[in-house]
Amino acid sequence: MTAADSSLLKPALYREAGTEAAPDRPALLGAACACGYVFFPLQTYGCERCGSRDIQPRALSGSGRLLASARVHRHAGKTRQAPFTVVAVALDDGPIVRTLAVEDEAALAVGQRMRSLLAPVVDPDGAPCFDLRFAREA
Amino acid sequence: MALSDLRPAYVAGIGLHRYQFASETTYVELGLTAVRAALQDAGLPWPAVESAYVAKALLPMAPGRPMLRHLGATGIPIVHIEDASASGSAAFRHAVMEIAAGFAEIVLVVGVDKPMPVGRAEGLARIGGLADDAIAPFTHFALLADAYAARTGAAVEDIALVAVKNHRNGAANPFAQHQKERTLDEILNGNRVSGVFTSLQCTPVGEGAAAVIVASEEGLKRHGLGLDRAARVVASAGRSQRVYEDSTRYDAVLTEETASGAFREAGLDPADIDIVELHDAFTVEEVEYLEAMGFAPEGQAVPLLKEGAFDIGGRCAVSPSGGLIAMGHPIGPTGVGQIAEITRQLRGEAGTRQHVGARTGLAHMVGVGAVCYVHILAKAS
Repeated sequence: MTAADSSLLKPALYREAGTEAAPDRPALLGAACACGYVFFPLQTYGCERCGSRDIQPRALSGSGRLLASARVHRHAGKTRQAPFTVVAVALDDGPIVRTLAVEDEAALAVGQRMRSLLAPVVDPDGAPCFDLRFAREA
Repeated sequence: MALSDLRPAYVAGIGLHRYQFASETTYVELGLTAVRAALQDAGLPWPAVESAYVAKALLPMAPGRPMLRHLGATGIPIVHIEDASASGSAAFRHAVMEIAAGFAEIVLVVGVDKPMPVGRAEGLARIGGLADDAIAPFTHFALLADAYAARTGAAVEDIALVAVKNHRNGAANPFAQHQKERTLDEILNGNRVSGVFTSLQCTPVGEGAAAVIVASEEGLKRHGLGLDRAARVVASAGRSQRVYEDSTRYDAVLTEETASGAFREAGLDPADIDIVELHDAFTVEEVEYLEAMGFAPEGQAVPLLKEGAFDIGGRCAVSPSGGLIAMGHPIGPTGVGQIAEITRQLRGEAGTRQHVGARTGLAHMVGVGAVCYVHILAKAS
């Protein structure tokens, strides 16, 4: 089953298609303010840097560098089973995002290049879908 | 406007209920224990208090008057203050302002809380992140620890030494939730929580209460009291997070901005400070914030920690109460409890955890959102 056949878990936050700069990586759906501030996710309440509502959607490339990772051993929520790994990635386009990394034998090193991909998951109703995660650049 | 432009505000009384695991004790019992202790410590009767600030983050609406009326309902204004983890610090700041500006002579600050489910309002804004539900506070700080270790070369064992020190200090504090010394091995081999953190490197969940009486010299004089055991508030700074040039260091920059403001107001430097009580909910925060505030050069907090620079009796006692890690973090009380500990140290009344010769102390707290408060106290006499 490909992402084209099945839905995305959070279609408001990312898409299967990449950007011109990174066509083969799912793009994150961010935004840019007229003042130049680029952020994620898209919101239209107002720019955190200047307060303007002159905000345009901007697709952000699924490429960045690893700021930090943490292996989570304990999780209270029903939605996830520990253990899993959380990563903070500074996207090349600017914003810092935090989400799960794909399960990987090799240790992650701060500073290394990361790429986005769509990982198969199940939605809250148990239906298969895809969620954007990050993986080490091969 | 700085505090030095207004009349001095003093901490004249302190009182606590031990921080402890959730129990059947009502918040009223917790809070009244701390308030009565603070009044007794100050040598003041309850009717002398003209205004009350109640710091709480988890308790539901309006716990204040139902609690304070049992001291005799005197009709004073009672306000509740919530700023997440920094609720107590925020309440203290506003009590100080009320005294300094001359609106009252004697004010009570009491922080009280019990563990209960509460969410952050931010989630209601419907600006979801990719995996917000996967990132509990301990994971947020585990990520910080990973970045800190990469930046400074500090090892997991090194950062855990903060917990060794703070549990040792807590063991000497009858108000601490954890009163047991722990070896590095015990700390490193505890239950793994997130990233490098084991459970003893994280603040416990609990309940408690802490109270301080803030007063003017005039107010104390009217009750035949002097300043011999008082601590003067020489700085109060509050900031909130904004968009920083380097967005990767937002935690540290918020603390740095707030602390700089406090040092400027007090006309002091980190080298002048003898006692620090800071937001050490997780071990890495102590070293991160010590560097951010200038108590150690960038990347040098761990070597200084290892040398004993931050021990009681070292260059500057950091978390002599045991900090959030060992004393605990019941939330509403925490910031107020820090002020109580600093005052106790400045009076020379801290017993086996006394940092000899303490003349100035700094209290630092952050709250999700994010906000940060830094206060500096100095011996009045």
